[in-house]
Amino acid sequence: MDSMKTRAANAQGDSGIQLTRRDLLGVAALGLAAGAPAVAAAAGPAGQLTYGIHVSMAPTWFDPAETQGIITPFMVLYALHDAVVKPMPGNSAAPCLAESWSMGADDKTYEFILRKEAKFHNGDPVTSEDVKFSFERYRGAAHDLMKSKVAAIETPDPQRVVFKLKEAWPDFLTFYSSASGAGWIVPKKYIEKVGDDGFRQAPIGAGPYKFVSSTPGVELVLEAFEGYWRKVPSVKRLVMKMLPDEATRLAALKRGEVDIAYSIRGELAEELVKTPGLALKPVVLQAPNWIYFPEQWDPKSPWHDLRVRQAANLAIDREGMSKALFLGYCKVTDNAVVPYTFDFYWQPPNAVYDPEKAKKLLAEAGFPNGFDTGLLYCDSSYANMAEVVVDNFAQIGILAKLQPIERAGFFAGYSSKKYAKGIIQGASGAFGNAATRMASFVVKDGAFSYGNYPDIDELFPAQANELNRDKRAATLDKMQQLVHDKAIYAPIWQLGFLNGIGPRVGESAFGLIPGFAYTAPFEDLTLKSA
Amino acid sequence: MGQFIARRTGYCLLSLFLLSLTIFFFVRVTGDPAALLVEPGASVADIAAIHHQFGLDRPLWVQYGLFMWSLMHGDLGQSFYYQTPVLELYLSRLPNSLMLAAVAMGFSLLIGIPSGILASVRVGRFWDKAGKLFALLGLSLPSFWVGLVLILVFSVYLRWLPSSGAGTPLHLIMPAFALGWYFAAAHMRLTRSSMLDVLGSEYIKLARLKGLPEALVIAKHAFKNALIPVLTLAGINLVIMVNVAVVVETVFAWPGIGRLLYEGITFRDFPIVQGVVLMGGAMIVIVNLVIDILYAVIDPRIRLER
Repeated sequence: MDSMKTRAANAQGDSGIQLTRRDLLGVAALGLAAGAPAVAAAAGPAGQLTYGIHVSMAPTWFDPAETQGIITPFMVLYALHDAVVKPMPGNSAAPCLAESWSMGADDKTYEFILRKEAKFHNGDPVTSEDVKFSFERYRGAAHDLMKSKVAAIETPDPQRVVFKLKEAWPDFLTFYSSASGAGWIVPKKYIEKVGDDGFRQAPIGAGPYKFVSSTPGVELVLEAFEGYWRKVPSVKRLVMKMLPDEATRLAALKRGEVDIAYSIRGELAEELVKTPGLALKPVVLQAPNWIYFPEQWDPKSPWHDLRVRQAANLAIDREGMSKALFLGYCKVTDNAVVPYTFDFYWQPPNAVYDPEKAKKLLAEAGFPNGFDTGLLYCDSSYANMAEVVVDNFAQIGILAKLQPIERAGFFAGYSSKKYAKGIIQGASGAFGNAATRMASFVVKDGAFSYGNYPDIDELFPAQANELNRDKRAATLDKMQQLVHDKAIYAPIWQLGFLNGIGPRVGESAFGLIPGFAYTAPFEDLTLKSA
Repeated sequence: MGQFIARRTGYCLLSLFLLSLTIFFFVRVTGDPAALLVEPGASVADIAAIHHQFGLDRPLWVQYGLFMWSLMHGDLGQSFYYQTPVLELYLSRLPNSLMLAAVAMGFSLLIGIPSGILASVRVGRFWDKAGKLFALLGLSLPSFWVGLVLILVFSVYLRWLPSSGAGTPLHLIMPAFALGWYFAAAHMRLTRSSMLDVLGSEYIKLARLKGLPEALVIAKHAFKNALIPVLTLAGINLVIMVNVAVVVETVFAWPGIGRLLYEGITFRDFPIVQGVVLMGGAMIVIVNLVIDILYAVIDPRIRLER
């Protein structure tokens, strides 16, 4: 709570323009937080938009075949490539390279009719052979699952491609359109000529932008593809500069060296908001965050009692934490593991913050003075959130000691069930739908399930093969409701990803595709007239 | 002399061998790089496939053997993350680091030498105390903080300089200053003590007794002799600068080998970390070897030591 008050106080800040000793000292811990509201510069070559991005791009991001189930490669995929079907504004499975698709009466056949005008950057048409080739070549996330489900791919003519499944699989389109890169199409002839390595060095796709050059770890340059089927991009050149330091990214945005800066958080986001000419563009990610109670299946643990888990739920000040850490831009849905943008999402009742009621529940459960739960494990990137949770829990008497762990190590430990004692602050941005989230986080043998409830488990197979959408939705709603009622998790929120744009940007394309972290569709980007 | 060179060369090779062993094993203690290349909760099969792709499923001694075999053929391996030969990445970034180090060295000498001279001729007075404070700040202020302050002042407030990246001479100024200030402090202190030594020499006393102007005594007679150890240190520091600018290059997004090392550490890209550390070690070892040989040429007593 003290850290929240400090941040709220700092948000008022000193708005003087004169450099003082206090400014110099203050910037040591807060980067550019103690800044003057110097007006942001609006430089930049005409027709070019420059990004300051927060990660280093891997060349594997240029090849859809290597797509892992993380969001970052899609930052580039949406620019360079196109998919048969993909999430677009207003449609989570919009036909793109396909102008239409249909499912056969046997529910095992999916036929896509490709657009005649769809072309690759080298002028070659996108054909059914390319679609088949792209699927067979795919080796990224869920490739085993997809290939085990698909019996054959037929290409009766260059515009038609037919996927024949071994059995009815209601999630085929979910995986093909978003939870994998299998539906993103690459040119067969070109790849057979240059090989995989050659393709990574000089990728050709069917997306709105063509590859110009890439300096590993430094920048990527793209130019508009005049033959793009949907619309020719009005921004003719994109430069994506890799600026790993957040304060440097903000400085570059202020100076007009970049027009869009990804991931500006905390005090730096406050500074951005105060700067005339800059705008904060928050995006709610498809990444719920939660507190998990792995001990709830242990009868000797306090967490075994539902009232204790309910008390924990009531103790978290979600709105206050969101305001303090993310300027209020996180979305509190109270659904622990399923993002609100996902298919078959169930909307729980509103989250409640009531520490007094939480204390009463704890007393009823036999813990009037609280208890010590041991360690709270978290991804160190989000230790700031976990600190607030530790504080919130302490207010009602539940003591926890924070154990931040470097990201990869944290998830490795989480999935290998190392954190069986204590509590866990987790999150997931994985693609899919409500069913895939239940599979990973709730039902027996899920990658991140430390225990299970038979009444939830018995519902899972019923929906897995259910082709009637309404019936399937009802079953998944029921499962999510049970997760909520049993307080298996204490949901926190869906994370707000804060970005900045400069004065030259017209349409930034942030938030056009719900749940997507970055700007897309790229062809919708615009610059303001000079 | 031949024996001396052979002995010194042997020590160098031993140092590099021990460095290769150390970095090879220590980098593997940091964790599994496959975990950073796949989504959280990826299947065991997917992770195993990555281990196999990068040879991480082989016994450690086999991995080390292959690594050393490649090294002897000039191959630093392939980056896990960038899927590019490490040597190619290294050589593409090295000129940027050399340029940054050269300009940083220029700053450090331009600041360190005059302030050291001033401190030596005004011992115990204001300029000496100012020099000591300057040295203290240079050695104790963290370079990331210095970098951020420079960006705040010169890029954001004054708008004189670009905040980050490379491409023009203006891009070099702030990172070079941030890098050079630490070494300027060391050069200042060495210049001061070296000048004090020289100013106490008999020939300086004679020059003063002859009635030469003090400015001439300092500039012409004392300075040149005092400069020798400073330049020796500067030569060694230049090599160190090339290899230690990790934080400065990251803050300023300077595309050098320091930033490459940062990326290698962040992504647990073992080949990059191994390659950059070994190349840096080789540079330092070779420079020291050359200096040792030169010393031996100049002073026969050194090459006759056992």
